[in-house]
Amino acid sequence: MMRHLTDETLQDYACGVLNASMETLIACHLTVCPTCRQNALLADAIGGLSFNDEPAVEITATAADILALDKTAPINAPGALPTGVFQPGVPRPLARLLPTTLETLPWKSFGPGLKQYNLGTQPRKEGAFKLLSLDPGSRMSKHTHEHRELTYIISGSYSDEMGKFRAGDISDLSGEHNHRPHVDSDVPCISLIATDAPVKFEGLFGKIVQPFVGI
Amino acid sequence: MDATLLRKAKGPDEAAQALNKRMRDNLVAIGKNRDEKAFSDFYNHFAGRVKSFLIGKGLVEAVADELSQEIMLTVWRRAESYNPLKAAASTWLFTIARNRRIDYLRANARIEVDLDDEMLELDVDKEKTQEAQVDLSQQSAQLEQALLKLPQEQRQVMHLSFFRGQSHGAIAQWLDLPIGTVKSRIRLAMQSIRTDILSAENE
Repeated sequence: MMRHLTDETLQDYACGVLNASMETLIACHLTVCPTCRQNALLADAIGGLSFNDEPAVEITATAADILALDKTAPINAPGALPTGVFQPGVPRPLARLLPTTLETLPWKSFGPGLKQYNLGTQPRKEGAFKLLSLDPGSRMSKHTHEHRELTYIISGSYSDEMGKFRAGDISDLSGEHNHRPHVDSDVPCISLIATDAPVKFEGLFGKIVQPFVGI
Repeated sequence: MDATLLRKAKGPDEAAQALNKRMRDNLVAIGKNRDEKAFSDFYNHFAGRVKSFLIGKGLVEAVADELSQEIMLTVWRRAESYNPLKAAASTWLFTIARNRRIDYLRANARIEVDLDDEMLELDVDKEKTQEAQVDLSQQSAQLEQALLKLPQEQRQVMHLSFFRGQSHGAIAQWLDLPIGTVKSRIRLAMQSIRTDILSAENE
């Protein structure tokens, strides 16, 4: 059974209130999950229909003004997307942000068998956006989330209190969860992780590694 | 289903359906024939609502006014790419307005699913068959019906989260409710809408 996005997250995605990292991660899962894509379309459709409940406020221009504007205004092409390096096994929304293939990324080690590659540019208090590569058998320290933590599994698998997560799955956790993932595949588990606030690790080891993991 | 509810829902539902169809026809006419009258009708219905959406989401009035004009100009210029089999006119407009607001607030464009992605998994039953797509106007009507059937409290939370504020926390504050209640109302609303649509499809 594939693991999906929660309705609250899909709805936030449709409303456009998530940060860019989470949007990109969600687009990765939507690429491989027709069920969530259908639900995302449904949320967009609800947003569209909700226009009818919205009172119209006065706007300075008329339809004729817009048609006149069409003659003079430059074509505002949709914002350009980064091109990145498209590669097998990596959905394009993520591949767009990679300077090279997963194998040749300049990963940074943060413990035996643990590597990360940072994709985020925002200050730490606004959350993290990074790739994690964890060797078979690795365990993360038990941690809780202030707000939301999304994980998209690129390869390998891990298990936690919620069950097993495989390539293409998404783990959609909000504040009330407390989990301790461990890698149970024969190959490293590579995942993309996005948060909107720093996570809280438990225990001495967790507190020691946190500055190095930086999530 | 409760007969009173059905009767109550029927009036506004038919009006809403007629409106959805008129707006869809307008968009198609703009795309095909650069129909200025169709644009005018579309504009008069939606422009002020788009502006209201942008203000509700936190933009100041002057910016909201300017962006609404830009969004409506985009409608005029891009109507050709609108596929009436894939989305209702209001859905199409909503995604343009939402993305324009995001792009205004950020340096980079929103990265979305790439339809040319080799990894794109299609639901063969639902997405590839033509029959499933022709049903869209039908599905819009069912969705409208499902929305109308929601308890007022769920409908209100859905509307607020699309059109006001930034987060469920803000909506919780607005309504003076615990955030858990806001989230569970959203969950319940989405579930009952899905159930309604699925049962209508299987009839």
